[in-house]
Amino acid sequence: MEVISQNAVYFAVVLVIMALLFVWAYLTGRMQKEFSTMTWVLIPVAIAINLTIGQIVLVLKLPVYLDSIGTVLVGVICGPWAGALTGALSNIIAGIILAPDWFPWFPVAAVIGATAGVMANIGYFKTWWKVVVTGFVIAIMATIVGTPISIIIFGGISASGSSLITAFLLETGRSLLASVLTTNFISEPLDKIATSLLAFAIIDGLSTRYLSRFPRGENATVEKGQKQTELIIALVVVVLLILFGVYILPSITGG
Amino acid sequence: MAIVNLENVTYKYPLTDSPALQNINLRVDEGEFVAVVGPNGAGKSTLCYTIAGFVPHFFKGELTGTVEVAGAESSTSSLHEWVLNVGLAFQNPFNQISGAKYTVFEEIAFGLENIGVPRDEMKVRVEEAMKLTGISDLADRSPYSLSGGQQQRVALTSILVMQPKVLVLDEPTSQMDPIGTREVFGVIRTMAERGMTVVMAEHKVEWIANFADRVVALHEGRILLDGKPREVLTSDILLDKGFGISRYTSVARKAKTRGLWTRQQLPVTLEEAAEGFQDV
Amino acid sequence: MSLNRSFFVPLDSPLHRLNPLTKLTFVFAMILPAFLSLPAFAPGMAIPVLIAVFVGGVQRQYRGLLFKLILPTILFMFFMQSVFLPIGETVIFQLGRFDVTLEAMQTAFLTVSRIFVMVSSFAILLLTTHPGELMSDLTRRGLPPQFAYVIISTLQILPQMQAKAQTIISAQRSRGLDTESTFLKRVGAVVPLVGPLVFGSLVEVEERAIAIEARGFTSTRPKTSLHNVPDTNADKIIRWIFLALVILSLGGRIWLS
Repeated sequence: MEVISQNAVYFAVVLVIMALLFVWAYLTGRMQKEFSTMTWVLIPVAIAINLTIGQIVLVLKLPVYLDSIGTVLVGVICGPWAGALTGALSNIIAGIILAPDWFPWFPVAAVIGATAGVMANIGYFKTWWKVVVTGFVIAIMATIVGTPISIIIFGGISASGSSLITAFLLETGRSLLASVLTTNFISEPLDKIATSLLAFAIIDGLSTRYLSRFPRGENATVEKGQKQTELIIALVVVVLLILFGVYILPSITGG
Repeated sequence: MAIVNLENVTYKYPLTDSPALQNINLRVDEGEFVAVVGPNGAGKSTLCYTIAGFVPHFFKGELTGTVEVAGAESSTSSLHEWVLNVGLAFQNPFNQISGAKYTVFEEIAFGLENIGVPRDEMKVRVEEAMKLTGISDLADRSPYSLSGGQQQRVALTSILVMQPKVLVLDEPTSQMDPIGTREVFGVIRTMAERGMTVVMAEHKVEWIANFADRVVALHEGRILLDGKPREVLTSDILLDKGFGISRYTSVARKAKTRGLWTRQQLPVTLEEAAEGFQDV
Repeated sequence: MSLNRSFFVPLDSPLHRLNPLTKLTFVFAMILPAFLSLPAFAPGMAIPVLIAVFVGGVQRQYRGLLFKLILPTILFMFFMQSVFLPIGETVIFQLGRFDVTLEAMQTAFLTVSRIFVMVSSFAILLLTTHPGELMSDLTRRGLPPQFAYVIISTLQILPQMQAKAQTIISAQRSRGLDTESTFLKRVGAVVPLVGPLVFGSLVEVEERAIAIEARGFTSTRPKTSLHNVPDTNADKIIRWIFLALVILSLGGRIWLS
């Protein structure tokens, strides 16, 4: 119970920050700029891509979800707010008509889209290795937002496969918070990096002319002449970071 | 009186080097039916989008010269006001379905809802427009359940119901089967007979010969010819460039060299060819 | 998993005749107490929800949803939580190295009750309300019309894309893709599935944007609506009652704790 009330405070703080950001973006007109007709028409397609590919991956029984490719795509080429809206609506609509357990995760989905948008705005969606970094940052943000939801709504154990890792960690005597954080730190980066790379591959396959119709199409101009070694280095760094995180997190959170 | 007036219009899409339209001068009078012919990439669609305001408002890029429709100037107008004067329908009927509505009736009313037409007037206008285009029996169907020809007629009705002053059509039958083509041309013919100003890009030359008041031939972004349908469609210049020639014109031209076609005017349609060959 | 068609069942029940906002208020009047009020409330909220199913006359369709969508999810959730939640002393039985305790089962029951109430009340809203009617009523009350566009367009595009995905999967299967084969093969299978699905639907976006702009989508004039969605005094009274119930249940929670 102690953990839960701590989380309530944390949630209140997050909500206030979100509200302030919203007002700022609205008053400066940054938000409105992201929502052109192209954006409004892309969002339903992106949601359908999220849910359909999510279901295909489920059929293929892969250790990832890949249910936010469309969200990342909108975040990158339209902007963070459009990405956040796409993510949130994906989970809300899926939660109502496809799979009820998606619903509570809509803030995580929103943060995924927003983070993708912000990273793309600072130029981190132009080469393969930068996209890997973006995927990793998205994973960290998803972990920060997802952990309290997991604890408050599901007591740490939800219906997803990664809950088995949490259960195992709990069994070894770690605290609830440490276990959930560690689980997310293991499962999220792989999924979010794969998601970002797939979104990047899609963008790479679209014409510059087409991309330029979207509010932030220039975010996606692919810098050519990248070497494969950069991608490999990026992936190695990410794996090291994950291992580091898994080792260090329990000691920080007192597990 | 000219309702559409393009003066010295040159346009470049963003991120391209060569202009899609070069030095276009085009006047269309009220009630006139102008057909635009040209090979792929000649700029037919770009010309349609320019009159409809999407060039440059939607596509961005650089436009020089002036585009005027119904007394308003494109560069100083916003697209959402422009579309009240100019209606646009294009090739792919499926992509013209808004996706926001469940029935054909609602789909056609979508534009009227957007521009704030009162509910009672809206219903009357939708019903009248559907009667005009002969799709009243589809009112309660889902737009997605229709055939291509039916969907294209719904798209046309959705534009006509907004009562534009000018109708711009970009090859509306190019993705239709013969039945769909006949259905869609039937609607366009009704429009022409009712005195609607129409600018239509089209490659079905025989059909143009029967219905257009004027034909404009585009080539590499420039206007090559502009005149009466039969003059333009049988011209040697089109033969040189290799587009806009009906098979009956080609046959008669060959026949003429062997003395088998005696009339001065070459035929465009089957009927004209049949009549002319009877002389021999 | 894929429940494609619109859920709406065209009937003429008292629930169908209510204003969409009234039914939406009902949904939140069920969900908020279930999640935020005393834990004992959550299973109890199932009673008004089930009564609503009968008032709406949608028992048969609700039963379909219950067995295909709701029960599989909550049973799995109940199992996961009962087995893996590390709480409680009263061990009922052991599953491998995990203790299944009474406390964990109680928590699991609470979680699934909440999810049951949430999904069921949304299901009732969707079974008795046409999505077009819901959106046009909310738009009239100030929801930006673009939201209505996004929601309805998603509901129409999703089944189309799922059907396309099915076609692609079957085509890939006939060419030897095996969704049961080795891990690497399954990873390799994702790309040929994703490509055809995504690019086709993205290309459509540009033309659809042009088509709806040509029909005044970005018009700044006040919009009107084809359908008149009735909103009676009874609707207003019912909404106030629901609101009062929510406040009471939340107030009760604060007062009692």
